[in-house]
Amino acid sequence: MDEAVILVALLLVAGAATAAVAQRDPARQALVLSVLGVLLAVLFTVLQAPDVGLSQLAVGAVLTPLLVMLSVRKIRRRGRDRDGAR
Amino acid sequence: MSRRLRLWLLALGGAGLAALLAAACLDLPGFGGRAHPYGTRAVHASLTRHTANTIASVNFDQRAYDTLGETSILFAAVLGCVVLLRQARDEHRARPEPARVALPVRRYALLVMPVALVCGLYVIAHGQLSPGGGFQGGVVTATALHLLYLGADYHALERIRPLGVFETTDALAVCAYLVLGLAALLAGTAFLANTLLPYGTFNTLSSGGTVPLLNAAVGMEVASAVVVLLANFLDQAVEIEEESAG
Amino acid sequence: MNGWVLAATVELAGGGAAALWGVTTGPTARRVVAQNLTTAALCPALLLLAQGYGRPSYVDLALLLALLGPVGTLVFARLLHEDLEGQRPSAWGLTYAVAAMGAVVVAAVCAATGPGRAMVKLLVIGALLVGGNLIASRALSGAFRGVRGG
Repeated sequence: MDEAVILVALLLVAGAATAAVAQRDPARQALVLSVLGVLLAVLFTVLQAPDVGLSQLAVGAVLTPLLVMLSVRKIRRRGRDRDGAR
Repeated sequence: MSRRLRLWLLALGGAGLAALLAAACLDLPGFGGRAHPYGTRAVHASLTRHTANTIASVNFDQRAYDTLGETSILFAAVLGCVVLLRQARDEHRARPEPARVALPVRRYALLVMPVALVCGLYVIAHGQLSPGGGFQGGVVTATALHLLYLGADYHALERIRPLGVFETTDALAVCAYLVLGLAALLAGTAFLANTLLPYGTFNTLSSGGTVPLLNAAVGMEVASAVVVLLANFLDQAVEIEEESAG
Repeated sequence: MNGWVLAATVELAGGGAAALWGVTTGPTARRVVAQNLTTAALCPALLLLAQGYGRPSYVDLALLLALLGPVGTLVFARLLHEDLEGQRPSAWGLTYAVAAMGAVVVAAVCAATGPGRAMVKLLVIGALLVGGNLIASRALSGAFRGVRGG
């Protein structure tokens, strides 16, 4: 019966990963990505791999969204500056 | 090479990969089995060396050489980022305006920052006892510092983050890992062999021989690497502007 | 399968599916709220799993999530505030409900653990989870108004 929780976690991860790929806007993609990170950490926990889960949590919760959002901000600012210069 | 030929080549490679994967899957042991030949041996080896967390024993003792490779990959990746994201000749730095953050959020950031720092160090120090270790704890420690950017502004973060020190620490930590490996070589055993230090009492902070030391080296490396990486991204996103636009 | 794992499965299925649906549909304002509530919905599931598997060291995962989840939401509140301007994304009813659920789970696991150092750790996780969730919701509903440049 312990397989039920593994199944639920697997389905959620598959859904979140597909949704992350299907998004077009990078900022919205980062939002889905951070949810996917937490879901992956839960999946690793139910598969009895808490070390990997901790790595995923540490990287996926803050670091990846911060890097993606900073890149988005830089590109948007550059676009705005170019438009202003014209 | 024509488009058609490339597609055929791709199909051929894909079919080969699919066949190999299917053949490998047929030979896999059953899902969630109790016994595993490698697992049993790894647990046995980690228990003889008084390391409570078998994963830490695999990462920093039985396969410490692999971890050296991973550490150097992170080091090289951050080095590449520093080179790519440096301030170019046609760019200049503009000081951003100070941010106004709501008081509860500012208080939360200042309150949670020390808690997060302690948690990061806890995860590094208990790597050989419970899930966690240098990588996980290092990332948490580095993230904790950036609460100052989120709760105040970039200028506040810059004041507590001497970048040169973190860059030096990054390199020194990788050297520390190498030196620990070479020390085993000097003592007459193999590179990175866990024979230098007494194994200590099982399930205490000082158990596991060199595992806690290697954990600490990796923790230092990861924490400073992430700080340097984020510093370059933040500089680009917040401070550096192109000359022509200004 | 014991009751703890069953509770974690129900919580994971309900909270995870709701979070996934919220974060993939609708305007950006609703998506960030869903991202924030993911932490509060899944952290109790991790606590229940640690209790269900009888492995106290798994609690570290819940500790890290309670610590870093709200920080991740602050990242979005900070760097997306231009998109969120004038929208005041908030769902206070849902926020309080999820926070109350987290408190109930922490209390249940505390009761099962008994007094000691493990209980102090659980209480710290509970405080970080509920406090962080409320602060992150506050930050989303307009704490970074008027931040330029920085």
